[in-house]
Amino acid sequence: MLRYESVGMRYADGTAALDSVSLRVPRGQFCVILGASGAGKSTLLRMANGLTAPTQGEVWVEGTRVQPSTLAALRPRVGMVHQHFNLVPRATVATNVLSGALPGLPAWRAYLLRFPAGLRERACRLVRDVGLQPEHLRRRVSELSGGQQQRVGIARAFMLAPALLLADEPVASLDPRISRDILALLRDQARERGATVLCSLHQVDLAREFADRIVALRQGEMVFDGPAGAFDEATAKALYAAGAAAARESGAAMPELPGAGWPSMLSAGGAR
Amino acid sequence: MNTQAGNAAWRLDPPYGARALLIAIAALMLFLYTGQRVEMGRMAALTLDGALAAVGLKPQSQVTSGLGALAHSLFPLQVSYRTETSRIEGFDPDRLPWLARIETLQVSESRLNPHTLKMEDEVSTQTYLVEPLGYLWRVLVKMVETFEIAIWATLLAVLGSAPLAYCSARNYAPNRLLYVLARATVSLFRAMPELICALFLVLAYGFGPIAGVLALAIHSMGFLGKFYAEDIETADTGPQEALAAIGAGKPRVLAYAVLPQVLPKFTGYTLYILDRNVRMATVVGLVGAGGIGQELKGRYDMYQYAHVGTILVVIFITVFLLDQAAARLRRRLI
Repeated sequence: MLRYESVGMRYADGTAALDSVSLRVPRGQFCVILGASGAGKSTLLRMANGLTAPTQGEVWVEGTRVQPSTLAALRPRVGMVHQHFNLVPRATVATNVLSGALPGLPAWRAYLLRFPAGLRERACRLVRDVGLQPEHLRRRVSELSGGQQQRVGIARAFMLAPALLLADEPVASLDPRISRDILALLRDQARERGATVLCSLHQVDLAREFADRIVALRQGEMVFDGPAGAFDEATAKALYAAGAAAARESGAAMPELPGAGWPSMLSAGGAR
Repeated sequence: MNTQAGNAAWRLDPPYGARALLIAIAALMLFLYTGQRVEMGRMAALTLDGALAAVGLKPQSQVTSGLGALAHSLFPLQVSYRTETSRIEGFDPDRLPWLARIETLQVSESRLNPHTLKMEDEVSTQTYLVEPLGYLWRVLVKMVETFEIAIWATLLAVLGSAPLAYCSARNYAPNRLLYVLARATVSLFRAMPELICALFLVLAYGFGPIAGVLALAIHSMGFLGKFYAEDIETADTGPQEALAAIGAGKPRVLAYAVLPQVLPKFTGYTLYILDRNVRMATVVGLVGAGGIGQELKGRYDMYQYAHVGTILVVIFITVFLLDQAAARLRRRLI
């Protein structure tokens, strides 16, 4: 289904965001990529639909290699759910969901906003399936709560019945209770539609609750790959402790203010 | 860790220093120099004079007497319209236009009799058709024509600037060549003042509204093209990425992820341009490009200042009303 073959990502200045990651995700699996900020989760995810190109290795989706020449045919098969929802706030829920079916629509239909009846029905069904009400259809996305917005994002992602769904920190902007609901929704919808899910998260508890399989990244390296049950407390502690230590190490170039308390106040709200 | 270096890095300097102050002083000197060249001192003196004369502290001033003379010649406004009936083709005194009346004038004129070679007073009767609101009506019709010029100029500008904006937005331009070309066109159009543009277009298209519409459209196209493009470039990239990620092409991404975001601003610019085009349409008429300006220029050249007064008042009221309407529309749309 989805195959990473010793994929690496190195920036021009030599720092590695990903270092030789190989991964196979079978059809229908709900695979969670776990790791701290900057571990390379997003980079790995975005390689599956070509938003980011690897500097080494290959990515294959359903037997097709992800490269510029295959993107046009491949992308409609790969849905995506984003951390900041990436909806158009001023547009209605209906328009946002329908825009998920844009590729493949004849040009005149796309520009005259004439979505065929089949797609409009599908959009209504999806909006219902993600737990919204009929009155939400004509409401602007900006009037919805964060959780509701992500539901719209999920409905949009399923418009083209994708074989693979990428979820890039889908619940990072939501509070814990709503995060659970959204992840449950994502898992159930994907299961019902037979879609494979690759989802990045940074909360260990959510990953263990919802994932079929957990892949942990630390500074671009794969440090764990196994069923969710095998990812125990000790592994989690090791993952984040090591990550924190490494972050301190890499941040050593930044001078510390001797004595004064306020810089630590500035960084207190930081990464995790 | 080097504590010394650490201290140096953790330091906040004041937002500006001696260099900025020096630049400010140099700029001030430059302003004083250029101000003297454009007679800013004399302007201040004359204005003060005028203010003093207005409150009666000075017997007279150049400014107030000039303004007084202007007001005297503009008012009372010319509202009625008189035509000699002999100049009206097929004039029928029994079927007068609405509100119109006929006035007869006895005009005595000294004339040289070719037979006697003496000056004789010759009395002739002239009949005039007087329409009490005739001139005002004429000006209003011209104002409507001006408005039509502005509307069509704005329409053409919006249509023309759409492809220009698409090509001159860095993130949507199909290729580098088109981008450079579109940017250059937009800059060129914006750099062309309407009045001068109209002057040349009158030579190409003749007197009348065509030159006015085109002159205004070209300038507004440059303005709208630039502003549309800037908004497209700075629109939130999130929704655009979301649609690009599922394989939607650039024009579709623009239509679905960018347009809804920037529509309120686009509407604002377009309304501003319409507002501006109405004002400018009154001016381009001065060089013969149709509308009320052409009427204004004609009357001004014939020293008919009362007519000029009527035109100016109509322009003022129209622009004021338009401004109010545009503000209201903007509030409703955004």
